[in-house]
Amino acid sequence: MPNVFAVPVFFICFRECLETSIIVSVLLAFLKQTLGPEHDAKVRKKLVRQIWYGVGLGVLICLIICAGVIGSFYTVGTNAFEAAENIWEGVFALLASIIITLMGAALLRVSKLQDKWRVKISRVLETRESAVPAKGKWKVWCEKYAMFILPFITVLREGIEAVLFIAGVGLGLPATSFPLAVICGLGAGILVGYLIYKGGNRTSLQIFLVISTCFLYLVAAGLFSKGVWNLEQNAWVNLAGEGAAEAGAGPGSYDIRKSVWHVNCCSPLENGDGGWGIFNSLFGWQNSATYGSVISYNLYWLAVIVGFLFLGFKERKGNSAVEKADSETGSGENVLAGKKAEGAVASSAVREVPE
Amino acid sequence: MAVSLSNFLLPISLLLAATVHAATVTYDFDVSWVYANPDGLQNRPVIGINGQWPIPTIRVTKGDRLVVNVKNSLGNQTTSLHFHGLYMNGTNHMDGVDAVTQCGIAPGSTFTHNFTVDQPGTYWYHSHVRGQYPDGLRGPLIVEDPDDPHKDLYDEEIVLTFSDWYHGMMTDLLKGFISVANPSGAEPVPDSALVNETQNLTVKIEPGKTYLFRMINMGAFAAHYVWFEDHTMQIVEVDGVYTEPADADMLYMTAAQRVSVLITAKNDSNSNFAFVGSMDQDLFDVIPEGLNPNVTGWLVYDDAKEKPPPKEVDSFEPFDDFTLVPEDKEELYDHVDHTVQLDLKMDNLNDGANYAFFNDITYVHPKVPTLYTVLSTGSNATNPAIYGSNTNQFVLKANEVVEIILNNDDPGKHPFHLHGHAFQLVHRSEDEAGFYDSNAAPSFPATPMRRDTVLVHPNGNIVLRFRSDNPGVWLFHCHIEWHVASGLVATIIERPLDIQAQLAGKIPQDHLDNCKLDGVPTAGNAAGNTADLLDLTGENRSPGTLPAGFTARGIVALVFSCVAAFLGMAVIGWYGMAPIKAKTG
Repeated sequence: MPNVFAVPVFFICFRECLETSIIVSVLLAFLKQTLGPEHDAKVRKKLVRQIWYGVGLGVLICLIICAGVIGSFYTVGTNAFEAAENIWEGVFALLASIIITLMGAALLRVSKLQDKWRVKISRVLETRESAVPAKGKWKVWCEKYAMFILPFITVLREGIEAVLFIAGVGLGLPATSFPLAVICGLGAGILVGYLIYKGGNRTSLQIFLVISTCFLYLVAAGLFSKGVWNLEQNAWVNLAGEGAAEAGAGPGSYDIRKSVWHVNCCSPLENGDGGWGIFNSLFGWQNSATYGSVISYNLYWLAVIVGFLFLGFKERKGNSAVEKADSETGSGENVLAGKKAEGAVASSAVREVPE
Repeated sequence: MAVSLSNFLLPISLLLAATVHAATVTYDFDVSWVYANPDGLQNRPVIGINGQWPIPTIRVTKGDRLVVNVKNSLGNQTTSLHFHGLYMNGTNHMDGVDAVTQCGIAPGSTFTHNFTVDQPGTYWYHSHVRGQYPDGLRGPLIVEDPDDPHKDLYDEEIVLTFSDWYHGMMTDLLKGFISVANPSGAEPVPDSALVNETQNLTVKIEPGKTYLFRMINMGAFAAHYVWFEDHTMQIVEVDGVYTEPADADMLYMTAAQRVSVLITAKNDSNSNFAFVGSMDQDLFDVIPEGLNPNVTGWLVYDDAKEKPPPKEVDSFEPFDDFTLVPEDKEELYDHVDHTVQLDLKMDNLNDGANYAFFNDITYVHPKVPTLYTVLSTGSNATNPAIYGSNTNQFVLKANEVVEIILNNDDPGKHPFHLHGHAFQLVHRSEDEAGFYDSNAAPSFPATPMRRDTVLVHPNGNIVLRFRSDNPGVWLFHCHIEWHVASGLVATIIERPLDIQAQLAGKIPQDHLDNCKLDGVPTAGNAAGNTADLLDLTGENRSPGTLPAGFTARGIVALVFSCVAAFLGMAVIGWYGMAPIKAKTG
């Protein structure tokens, strides 16, 4: 399974695609709303087409960049990694773990992205309507094609981000593990984006996001532990040389002095034990656990728990502050308040916008 | 490599000369560190004798009394001398095995060997202290025989020793070998091959003469393929046992084996001929770049002529010693009284290092030398339990035909040596034959080849037979020095009550003095317990076995990790659902 489905890659694609599709959905919803049936259908069609052109062009450019990066990786890079495979795998597993961890928190607040973007777009469009004189040609062009530029830039930005993340995370993974993960990630991202656009049940969406985030953090914890394990394994292979490689999953394949448990089976590295490979990529299972891998796994969760408790309490404080502000000022001010207090506040402020 | 005659002291007793035709040959050996550079690659400390290295050849005549006065001037190591292949009948305490028949000779101390040599042939002597002889303490021991059945067949005798050579010191190499960093148990690979402890040896040959080449592999590890270009070897002796002459083009000599061959010189001196000892590289785990596994010498007919470089050989096809027939035609022992089965394997223990096992037990020497346990335990000496938990001990009764079945559950070749006996090799399987099956075995030879060191093939088996006619504590071990250190040793305690009859109260004071200097007890069971002989508390033990799976530590770690993960997810859930609550609430 790790050979055909790279879990971290899936999540990166999912996340970036979700963000993109939310922005597109916000734009589409905005058009639907501001250029209602009473408006000129021709103009609306033109603007919708602009959005899709933007998305399309962005995707195309991303694909080109992606192809270039992957091409150069697998022609130039692979040999260089072979020699120090454990170091590469270790470093990138740690990197991937950190990236996923940071992304994961954002994913929980993905519904707020919708609100954030709604605010942004409305401001762009508002400035157009309150047409100020003395504009450059460039600005005029920008405004005329705002519906093209916004999704184009967004897709490009998210896409390049995804390519770079995947490049980083996937360096130690076999090329065969990419396609399925990328396709699934994109599909899931588009699906969730579409659900948000359709404005389904927010609570069930939230539950879905929580479950997928939990899953994401399990993966990240496993990666973190695996990264430490890989670095330790590198030190062991350096020490024991040929012997460690010959030993397979048996005695000698691990450093007895650092071992917390070792079972002479169920190695994620052995080809026959496919199931343990899944177990490894999902939860960081090792048939040979070390003090380093176990402690890092637990410390990771400790950090996550502390981090979320901190975020949670901060937001609660923030929320109560905003609620207070809500009652004092008009809803018009909420846009600004939301911007200041980041996404957390915006959710309560702009939720009223009808879907 | 000439024999140093200055070492010879031949005080022939006139009184005895009248009755028996035997002499007493005395050697005074002062064992000390000297420097040597036998392969021209690295000068290193080696263990020499009387300030010399290579060490002298001991030469006696059958029936002689051999006295060797050993002084240990090494300063930093104990030592001992074992006379490989000598039966030591009645003088088990002179066998020279540290922690088995004596205590190591302490630095600054002395030890006298005094025994009768009543067997002819080619032998060698070496240290039998853990891993020591490859540092240089190894030399030939030749027992001349006035009754040699082949004596009319040759004109002159030449001794050739083949060996492997390390640039590192054995103490350091052993530390790296039995180490957590060497989990596969890869043996250190020699740096060079030597012949007569040197390279490019020239052997002066006269046309038309026939020579007896007494060849000895004194190596620590490597077996040697040996051949003489354009000369046929006629094997006449293996390990001190005369054989019916057999022609061979190439020999395979494992560590500690000896073979005597007759080589008849060509009738002209038109050219010189190379002979080669080539280390068997199958034994080596990783062959280092630049290793020359070969050592070359020349049969020099004419000093003025060039010494041609050795020719390449297409393949190694050595003579199979199993086919030899002993000259005395001793018949097969066909009725077995006592079978000892030894299953060999290599495995790791919980210190992470790789060890060698017989029947799942790796040898760790007892606190009390086994011979002293025999001598101090009275009638309890027949109880195997008192000899410890890690000594692979077998107690033999008198005049039994003993069969050792050795199953090699390891992909390596091993040369097995039994002290105190030459054994009949009644069966040897091919590679990969697995364990010995007495029902499927082919019939045994009527007059099996006898020797004291024999090769077992990778994952194959051998069957040896001998008669328990020599009371003593005899080790049976792999003669690869690395494997001795990693525990591939069994202790044969042959007729313990007869040992007591022979030696009780007769252990010389200098033997016991060395024990005192080493701080080694000389009485009691393997743990040194004299009161309760079955109480082995405090004995030397091997490291424990590796845990098979989860231990308490592993379970705690796993549970902790799971709890951490679930707690973490609970907090994520709390945080993730919070805004909704805030909104609706």
